[in-house]
Amino acid sequence: MTEHRSDLVEQKLSTLTLDGKLVEFTKGETIYEIANRHRKEVPTLCYDERLEAFGACRLCVVEVEGIRKPVASCTTAATDGMVIKTSTETIEKHRKTLLELVASENRNVDVNALSGYSSQEMTILVDRYSARTGRFSGKQSGTSNTGDKNPFILRDYDNCISCYRCVRVCAEREGDYAINVMNRGFHTQIITEFNNDLRDSNCTFCGQCVQTCPTGALGDKKALRDADTEGEIKKTRTICPYCGVGCSVDMLSKGDKIVGIQPAMDGPANEGALCIKGQYAFDFIQNDDRLAKPLVRRDDGELHECEWDEALDRAAEGFKKVKDQYGRHAVYGIASGRAPHEAAYTMQKYIRATYGTNYIDNCSRS
Amino acid sequence: MSRESNQALIERWKDEPAPLLPLLHAFHNRDGYLSDDAIKAVSEGLRIPLAELFGTVTFYHHFSREAPGKAAPRVCTGNICCLHGGDDLLESLKDKGATPMPCAGRCDDMIPVIIGDKAYVGLDKDSLEHRATPVPAPNPGGSTECLFAHIREEGRNTLTGYRATGGYSALKRTLKDSTPESLIKLITDSKLAGRGGAGFPTGMKWKAVADAPGDPKAIVCNADEGEPGCFKDRAIMDHDPFALIEGMTLASFATGAPLGFIYLRYEYPETERLLEDAIEDARASGLIGENILSSGHTFHLYVRRGAGAYICGEEGSLLNSLEGKHPFPRNKPPFPVTHGYNDKPTAVNNVETLASVPHIVENGAEWYRDLGEGDHAGTKLISLSGDIQRPGNYEVPIGLPLSTLLYEWAGGPKEGRTVQAVTMAGLSGGFIAGEDLNITLDEPSIRSKGSFLGAGGIMVLDDSRDMVKAAHDAMSFFAHESCGKCFPCRIGTQRMTERLGGEANTLEPSAWIAEIEDIGSTMMSTSACGLGMAAPHVTKSLMKYFPEQVEAFLAKG
Repeated sequence: MTEHRSDLVEQKLSTLTLDGKLVEFTKGETIYEIANRHRKEVPTLCYDERLEAFGACRLCVVEVEGIRKPVASCTTAATDGMVIKTSTETIEKHRKTLLELVASENRNVDVNALSGYSSQEMTILVDRYSARTGRFSGKQSGTSNTGDKNPFILRDYDNCISCYRCVRVCAEREGDYAINVMNRGFHTQIITEFNNDLRDSNCTFCGQCVQTCPTGALGDKKALRDADTEGEIKKTRTICPYCGVGCSVDMLSKGDKIVGIQPAMDGPANEGALCIKGQYAFDFIQNDDRLAKPLVRRDDGELHECEWDEALDRAAEGFKKVKDQYGRHAVYGIASGRAPHEAAYTMQKYIRATYGTNYIDNCSRS
Repeated sequence: MSRESNQALIERWKDEPAPLLPLLHAFHNRDGYLSDDAIKAVSEGLRIPLAELFGTVTFYHHFSREAPGKAAPRVCTGNICCLHGGDDLLESLKDKGATPMPCAGRCDDMIPVIIGDKAYVGLDKDSLEHRATPVPAPNPGGSTECLFAHIREEGRNTLTGYRATGGYSALKRTLKDSTPESLIKLITDSKLAGRGGAGFPTGMKWKAVADAPGDPKAIVCNADEGEPGCFKDRAIMDHDPFALIEGMTLASFATGAPLGFIYLRYEYPETERLLEDAIEDARASGLIGENILSSGHTFHLYVRRGAGAYICGEEGSLLNSLEGKHPFPRNKPPFPVTHGYNDKPTAVNNVETLASVPHIVENGAEWYRDLGEGDHAGTKLISLSGDIQRPGNYEVPIGLPLSTLLYEWAGGPKEGRTVQAVTMAGLSGGFIAGEDLNITLDEPSIRSKGSFLGAGGIMVLDDSRDMVKAAHDAMSFFAHESCGKCFPCRIGTQRMTERLGGEANTLEPSAWIAEIEDIGSTMMSTSACGLGMAAPHVTKSLMKYFPEQVEAFLAKG
């Protein structure tokens, strides 16, 4: 106990000077984490707080007293007594040069916001640093993989800046290891094994790579169908209707139309993760084939739209007939995996109490 | 010999330390290239995700993915070889599938061509011959040598010859009479410092490894020698391999590391066999392995061959490469002394550093310190090449004037020519020219001119050379070798190469210069490793010493 308390005391005593102000920190925190906590707006492009810090973009460099060169704040652990400056004239100049360089390797700086959750990161930074100068022009890096016909993930590597967030989220968060880096230097390229299509790889189309991409090089093909649809993008926080995990999502809409789904980075159940269904399988909602009213088959043998009362009466009649004729075990209830708890409870009660059978199950098991 | 099955190759390697590279080489040797099938088998055998392994394989430029693959000639088109016609030789071998390779570390000889596991040299395709690495010429200054003291003696690279010339007495004495602490003290007192270029005090590094928690510790010899214009480690390994092996064994005793690796560059195929044989001979004589010379000390040493990647000479990349990971540099801290091979305490030392150790143990710390000029301690191997009468490896007292080396030791420039510039640290230190050629060969003197001695490669460029072209060739090397991890180096080396190659001459000269300066400054300050930090020395020194050549180049439009 005493030992534990002295730990706390020691932790409390860790302080450093951040832009002239004494701040406390916990051992193990990086300079970037501390700066971020104090709203320092240190720019980054390769950083995703869910991933291990990587240190590629170098935009987050800061000056630390006693260290000759700027250090990458994302990969540098804070130590007691450090004196840090997050923004000096020299540092800001390097950041602008880096952003000019990175803008010079891409086909375009602007991408549609429907591309993905992080897709505007580079554009915002380039504008914040007035780096749309056209300096450092030259060859573009990355080759778009337009041949990949998968229906979900756009692989527009002409706009790739080799931050490897996609590779890292695939490995670190998903454990899929579907993509990696081919070649070296300016010729690096994001690929699957043997540079095949995503469909031939371990990819599960969870879309995590798309959502972490800071340039829209990886884009949400389904959302981008509505790139030219009129209207502002509206985000509505909701819960994925599929399985019982309860992933938080932001539903994207334009006018009355649902155009896409993005994971909620602060979703308590998913912390930004989604699966292929939650990410991409939303077309059913506004599909023309979806039933808007009950249908009953009348004497002419055709299905006719009707009101709920009629439909329920017909259904009750049918169930009763079956039970009377074949016994209580002739009815088998299958609840939808997408049903919330309360609905699932009601369903089993309905089957058990109404028919007197235990033949009730869930769609994922029947 | 019947073709070994995938399974047999995997079984042979999968439980060995650092198995990925040797296993990939085994497939590369068997098939001549790495087929999809081979990569799948290795992925399964070593349990490395397929996409990751594929990406890693493509990182190394000497792994072929298709026939004729390994059998196709690789022609050195390094900076010096191009002065000798490397490009023409490459062209003449194109019908055999020849591909260019960056500096292959033989700049004191004719142009090297690697075919399979043999390194040939020649000036045209009909005169290629397979022959040994040149032996260093006798010391022209008559100064006392450390590393080269016995290297010219007949049979020194055999165990019998090595022992006959005093080899292994240092190890024997140390294991019998000394302690790890006193060995570390001796090396610290000698002021031996990292000869790969970083100059970190060796004794301090060993002490850090000895004191760090975690087992098994490791000694890793950096024999990647990828810096253009450097070929000194090759000379040591080919002609005095036991000095390195004894040095590593002493390092293992000092640090308590039972495990060691020599990470050897691909371009030295004969050296690999030579080292393997030497280690085998040492093992047979009880000089390496379990319970060395009945002292109770154990040290197992393995050779691991790279596959073509300059960045693997950077210690973080080297360790990742050994571990079978993508060879990007690691973020520091933590440093290898606490988190090295497999995240265990590891001393990564250069060949030259380690091979000095037996001599220092044998002759004492004071003897070694006194080898330097003035206050400087010890000696440095210099690989001298280019437009000079007698290129080759020279062991100089640290602090020797550059002019003494160039004019008195190596005979000066070719007849009728003058020295226009020299490179420093291979290419990493950029150029030194004009009055600054009066430097002495030690870090303080060279650093005062904005450069550094590094691994000790010096290329001479005479007054017939176009310095903008020389800078372009240097920068295209760095661009070719940039790993692609950090933005400033990945994009910066490319943009610099384009500009030095005349692809951006539509810019106003002032804009061109501003771009070069801004890229250079940001690369030097923010790059993640030494490659990106060093590359702008090339442009910086070009602008400093040769503004009129830059001006003329830009005026051409």
